Amino acid sequence: MTKKLLIIDTLAGNLFSLQAAAQRLGFEVDICQSPNDIIYDALVIPGQGRFASVVNQLKKQGWDSYLKNAHEHGLPMLGICVGMQIFFEASDEDPEVTGFAWFKGKAKALDFPKKPMVGWAELDSRDSIFAGKIVYFVNSFAVDQADESVATTEYGQNFCAAVKRGAFYGVQFHPEKSSQAGLQMMANILLPENQGELKSEENNHV
Amino acid sequence: MSSLLPRIILCLDVKDGRVVKGTNFVNLRDMGDPVELAIEYEKQGADELVFLDISASNEKRPTALKLVTDIASHLSIPFTVGGGLKKLDDVKAFLDAGADKVALNTTAVLDPDIIDQTAKAYGSQCVVVAIDVNQEDEGLNYYINGGRKRVEGDFFNWTQQVAQRGAGEILLTAMHRDGTGLGFDTELTRKVSESVPVQVIASGGAKTEQHFLTAFEGGADACLAAGMFHSGDYQVDQVKQFLQDQGLKVRL
Repeated sequence: MTKKLLIIDTLAGNLFSLQAAAQRLGFEVDICQSPNDIIYDALVIPGQGRFASVVNQLKKQGWDSYLKNAHEHGLPMLGICVGMQIFFEASDEDPEVTGFAWFKGKAKALDFPKKPMVGWAELDSRDSIFAGKIVYFVNSFAVDQADESVATTEYGQNFCAAVKRGAFYGVQFHPEKSSQAGLQMMANILLPENQGELKSEENNHV
Repeated sequence: MSSLLPRIILCLDVKDGRVVKGTNFVNLRDMGDPVELAIEYEKQGADELVFLDISASNEKRPTALKLVTDIASHLSIPFTVGGGLKKLDDVKAFLDAGADKVALNTTAVLDPDIIDQTAKAYGSQCVVVAIDVNQEDEGLNYYINGGRKRVEGDFFNWTQQVAQRGAGEILLTAMHRDGTGLGFDTELTRKVSESVPVQVIASGGAKTEQHFLTAFEGGADACLAAGMFHSGDYQVDQVKQFLQDQGLKVRL
């Protein structure tokens, strides 16, 4: 059976790379602005847009309760970049807006002379999904400390590069822009029962 | 402390939907299909790609946008498009079509507000300002229109201004090195890199792996090259292996 993936459209940018990456993993992809009744095998919150606009758009469309419910049912979920930060309490990017607060902590402006952080960095992690992997970052804000952090990297300071609770993963980097390493991570997170085995025929050109 | 690794960026010139190679816009030679070449360079280990002049003429805009979406759907590394983006609408069209970043050069000089506007609408990470600079007897001058028109103004002021306006990166092409094979202008790259609060991509002059090592050790955050890879003289992973062997950590 083809697995179905839901990508939430937060109206903050194109989703071609993400969609293509998911299709390469063998997923049938639905891109939706509001929740529906279809049963999905996994879900992605994309990494584009500002903190406030993404939080507000998700709340407006009723995604907050949907996501909570999906998580309680153990749906594999991946939040990317700002799509990870919104699950924390707040962000310096838009201090007046409250995040979903699944995790304690907040996104703060990176303390480094050159901003945004743009480029590839190695992850420091003990989780086999992330350990030693080199992935692509594009961000000016990051969560400096999180209890459930499973990977970190450094840019002026150490920050949380990945967070995990149950089947939910949030990552500060962009796996869909991180070549083979990123695709493998997406497979591990979104297809846990396959143990992240990539479909070879879809993937043979990367 | 930054754990960012030095990046090697490949530049592909696109004309009428094909990648072309030529010297100073003459003797253009067909190099192949942009999507296929992009995939090949990702496989070789390129950290990013830049497609230039993909959008040069308005009448071919729909084809160019389709090509950008096609590239976005096949590539899992970031890519930039540049050349011929004249208005904010052009910029938006290409970002919406799937480009991760746009490179602005002539347009940024003629209408600097476009830097602010793009950064505001899409974020600084989408804005690369390309600056073509030439070392001349009286000092450094910068140029627009593909290196044909000199700009009246101070080069270092311009680098500061583009960063302040919201550029996320500066692509610095040393015209006096372009096509010479003498290596990047490391001294110039270092000067700019130390004085602006954004990353600086060195461009112009690369011919050997040693040139990359010198540039990275000299302060370049990334290096862009074309000819030495298009010619087949080097594979990207070969250069990266060399850098690694010399003690520089890279993505291999």
